[in-house]
Amino acid sequence: MLRSQVLLIVLLAGLALYLFRLRTTPRDRLLYIVMVGVAVPLVLFPDASNVVAHAVGIGRGADLVFYLFIIFSLFHFATSASRIRQLERQLTSLVQDRALAAPDVPPGQGSSSA
Amino acid sequence: MPEASTVWIVIPALNEARTIGDVVAPLRACGWRVVVIDDGSRDGTAAAARAAGAVVLRHSINLGQGAGLRTGIAFVQRQRDAQCVVTYDADGQHQPDAVAALIGVLTREHVDVVLGSRFLDDSGAREVPAARRALLRLATLFTRFTTGLRVTDAHNGLRAFTVDAASRLRLTHNRMAHASEMLSEIARLGLRYAEAPVTIRYTDYSMAKGQRPLDALAILWDIFTAGLR
Repeated sequence: MLRSQVLLIVLLAGLALYLFRLRTTPRDRLLYIVMVGVAVPLVLFPDASNVVAHAVGIGRGADLVFYLFIIFSLFHFATSASRIRQLERQLTSLVQDRALAAPDVPPGQGSSSA
Repeated sequence: MPEASTVWIVIPALNEARTIGDVVAPLRACGWRVVVIDDGSRDGTAAAARAAGAVVLRHSINLGQGAGLRTGIAFVQRQRDAQCVVTYDADGQHQPDAVAALIGVLTREHVDVVLGSRFLDDSGAREVPAARRALLRLATLFTRFTTGLRVTDAHNGLRAFTVDAASRLRLTHNRMAHASEMLSEIARLGLRYAEAPVTIRYTDYSMAKGQRPLDALAILWDIFTAGLR
């Protein structure tokens, strides 16, 4: 085994463990298992990507890996963006509820809330 | 005309400690109720507004003007005797007398909404700097095209609603695009609307605090991506 292969596999294993602890939804865990499951064989047998690429009509294995990387990144971008918007909505209603719960009424104006 | 104490003026404010007192005091002197939403200011905005006689609601973090208006409208809805909601800017660009004019139109014409317009008569339009006038014309054409409302001004912060109409608005934009969103909600709900002429005082202060022409792009972006949420 080449030294670069050892290094890459150690890094992938470390990343997998870290993500597994960080991401707890079954869907995300499955996604990372699949990713590592694809990445490790590719590190060990780099030529395999060429075989798969040729089978689907792509010139080089490196191109195939690059395309997959782009698709995964876009997917990740889209899911993070919707997660952020959801958090933003929750944060907004939390801040608004807090504001409404404690109106600062000047003396003499009394509270007339229904 | 409804009793002055049943009219609530909603003013979202961010770091307006210098001017908010002068904005609130004349409104209170007319007898209107005022609620200032302090949108996470780092200065004495809340204290200055309260000292001038406004009820103050505090956002613990800055959410944006649209969110401030929503909080204010939600507050007014909870007031037993409230009949009208007026949205008003914190930077001193509106004239206090305009509120009575808007409320007058709201009751006389039996509409749900009265929108302040800088372009309803020439005296208002003359006050608007030329570059801003051109941009606002474009924004107005865009609004007419997208909402079908025959308005003469698109992004005026001064509006009056009946409380009932205001509670039906479904507003989601936290930041600046809420002005367009309000108009599309008026169109969607089929609210009866009218316009009333207002003049805006463009001071160096309000110009510096106000929107820059480039913000128009950000607003367009917000509107077009709204469907993707």
